[in-house]
Amino acid sequence: MSLPRAYARTEADETVEVTMTVNGSATTLSLPSRVTLSDALRDHLGLTGTHVGCEHGICGMCTILVDGEAARACLLLAVQLDGAEITTVEGLGRQDDLHPLQEAFGRHHALQCGFCTPGFLMSSYDLLSHQPDVRTEDLPAELSGVLCRCTGYRNIVDAVDDVAQAHRDGIPGPGNCAARTLVGRTPAGAAATVAVDAVDAVDPGEDGGRHPDEITLPVGEPTITVDVTSELESGPEDVARVFGDIRLLARCLPGAELTDELGHDWYRGRARISLGPVRLSFQGMAHILEQHDDRVVMRGQGKDTGGGGAQAHIVMTAAPSGSGVSLHAEARVFLTGRIAGFGRSLAGDVSRRMFEEFARALDRAAAGAEPDAHSRPPGAVSILVGALSDRFRQRLARLRAGRRRRTP
Amino acid sequence: MKAAPFAYVRPGSTQDALAELGRDGAKVLAGGQSLVPVLAMRLGRPSVLVDINAVPELARITRADGQLRVGASARQRHVQHHAAAAEVPLLRLALPWVGHREIRSRGTVCGSVAHADPSAELPAVAACLDATMVVAGAEGVREVPAGEFFTGAMSTVIGAEELLTEVRFPVAAPGEGHGFGEFARRHGDFALAGVAVWVRTTGEDVVARISCFGVSDRPVTRDVSAQLSEALATAGARPTEPDLRRALADHADQIADEVVDTGGDAHASTAYRCRLTAGLLSREVARAYLKSLRSAEEGTSR
Repeated sequence: MSLPRAYARTEADETVEVTMTVNGSATTLSLPSRVTLSDALRDHLGLTGTHVGCEHGICGMCTILVDGEAARACLLLAVQLDGAEITTVEGLGRQDDLHPLQEAFGRHHALQCGFCTPGFLMSSYDLLSHQPDVRTEDLPAELSGVLCRCTGYRNIVDAVDDVAQAHRDGIPGPGNCAARTLVGRTPAGAAATVAVDAVDAVDPGEDGGRHPDEITLPVGEPTITVDVTSELESGPEDVARVFGDIRLLARCLPGAELTDELGHDWYRGRARISLGPVRLSFQGMAHILEQHDDRVVMRGQGKDTGGGGAQAHIVMTAAPSGSGVSLHAEARVFLTGRIAGFGRSLAGDVSRRMFEEFARALDRAAAGAEPDAHSRPPGAVSILVGALSDRFRQRLARLRAGRRRRTP
Repeated sequence: MKAAPFAYVRPGSTQDALAELGRDGAKVLAGGQSLVPVLAMRLGRPSVLVDINAVPELARITRADGQLRVGASARQRHVQHHAAAAEVPLLRLALPWVGHREIRSRGTVCGSVAHADPSAELPAVAACLDATMVVAGAEGVREVPAGEFFTGAMSTVIGAEELLTEVRFPVAAPGEGHGFGEFARRHGDFALAGVAVWVRTTGEDVVARISCFGVSDRPVTRDVSAQLSEALATAGARPTEPDLRRALADHADQIADEVVDTGGDAHASTAYRCRLTAGLLSREVARAYLKSLRSAEEGTSR
């Protein structure tokens, strides 16, 4: 454990700067000294997986790891954690690759309402990573630092025991720790600053006709990776005509609109996305890095009025395919704030659908028709329905497959 | 449950920490596991917290002059697993009872001693072993024996401008045995009653000391050598644990009556605390004696 650096006296109405690593990402926050780590994680970094129950160290809901050891986040002042390495439940596993403990909790029905689950996961991770040989009969006492009001504990103990039995040589480490963007869900103006290059590089709303030198993408793994190929009926020359007209190209994107041309291949625009009751409204900028007849490379970044942010690096290529064109789109999308809360897989499905719709609109535009995506801006309703019915079909297929396997 | 605002400073040396503590309304922050709940419930509103975690010399755990020296910011969990701490078996017996793992990760040994909760484990361990408290102030450093350190509930001889920099626990010698037990409604809660025991056996002689906690406004330490000797006269010098417990039980009620001086509360009446104390002390004194016997024969301590 490294010692924090000395810090000069800071008055009660001033903020203290604290640099820590949260789930593998370095972050610097400027906080009033009385803010607890649990509040810093939730309100300033948007990591709401750490739950807050009693706020005075009894219930264990807020259990996290500090330098690999479990501690109660509500009993730590965030300013004490300068130089510390924090792991929260968000860092434990990925949605598509859960930690063995998370798998076991699911298998054993070790959760009901789920409020205590992050605390139990982190506490049991700490237990098994330090005492992989823990005896079954000691588990109730060892897990007594977290309260559960639903399960009666037996299923939780069973789940942890299951993992302990399977990993006597030590359990796998947290599976979702990497350098990535951490941006709080608190609206702009809150005292949260983030060390990782983030959305704040420019303020797209107010800086007149100016634009930054470049759009810097966050380091680390993108929230979503899109890789879609669509077959278009239009020929290469028609597609090249659309690729050559950024305004037309933008109109092919559902809900998107270019509002200003800033020169030097910079554009300002907005995008509205509507998913069921969810309305997202992005203001942002796009920078065209390459523009050829068969290839367009661009970067965009935007801020959602609700405090979220998105950045994307998009590469589109058009290759002749039969009488038409095979349009390939690759995108790395970085989401922060409330939109990131959708979850990786649903956001991924929605993005992929948007690109498919974009391809169809581009095909229409290439054929000389109006790319009608723009004529009904919140076109994403159908995208969501499409994404959901896709998932429903996949699920149905899995269920059927499962049933087939079980039938002798 | 949000603390009232306070100023914050994290000095890099003991001297700087003492200078900061000289200010009005200053309070030491080490692990914060007792202090932060007090702040959250606004039972206390210090004007400035002096975070001592950046002071390198206060984080040390060392062995010197037959003592285990635990610095002010050394975590309970680290002490529990530290090789040097194995030589103070009573500390090893008691630490698993302090809160939970999650609390011990951050909570400090010195913090628990300085906080002096009457039902906390570590003040009783310090009292039972007659540990030495090292208290630093503007005027210099003084060493206070545990017997004089605790002055009441959550009160010690540490002045507002002073800092408990270290607790020195004597390392156990061959012929010494220890016992520790407590009863709480749930693991990790403060004990309704508990006892720490130290016994030394040298040939035919036995010396026994107990420190009871949760039963008064501070740990209550008693020499119970006479009672142990009498019990051994009844049960024989090499008794089984159940025999010795039964023999000790004849004296335990009287000892418990003497040490328990708390009024009853919602959790337990005075009479119930006496019963708990009597039961715990006969069990733990018996265990400690048997360990001391083995230790004397093997030439080790346990």
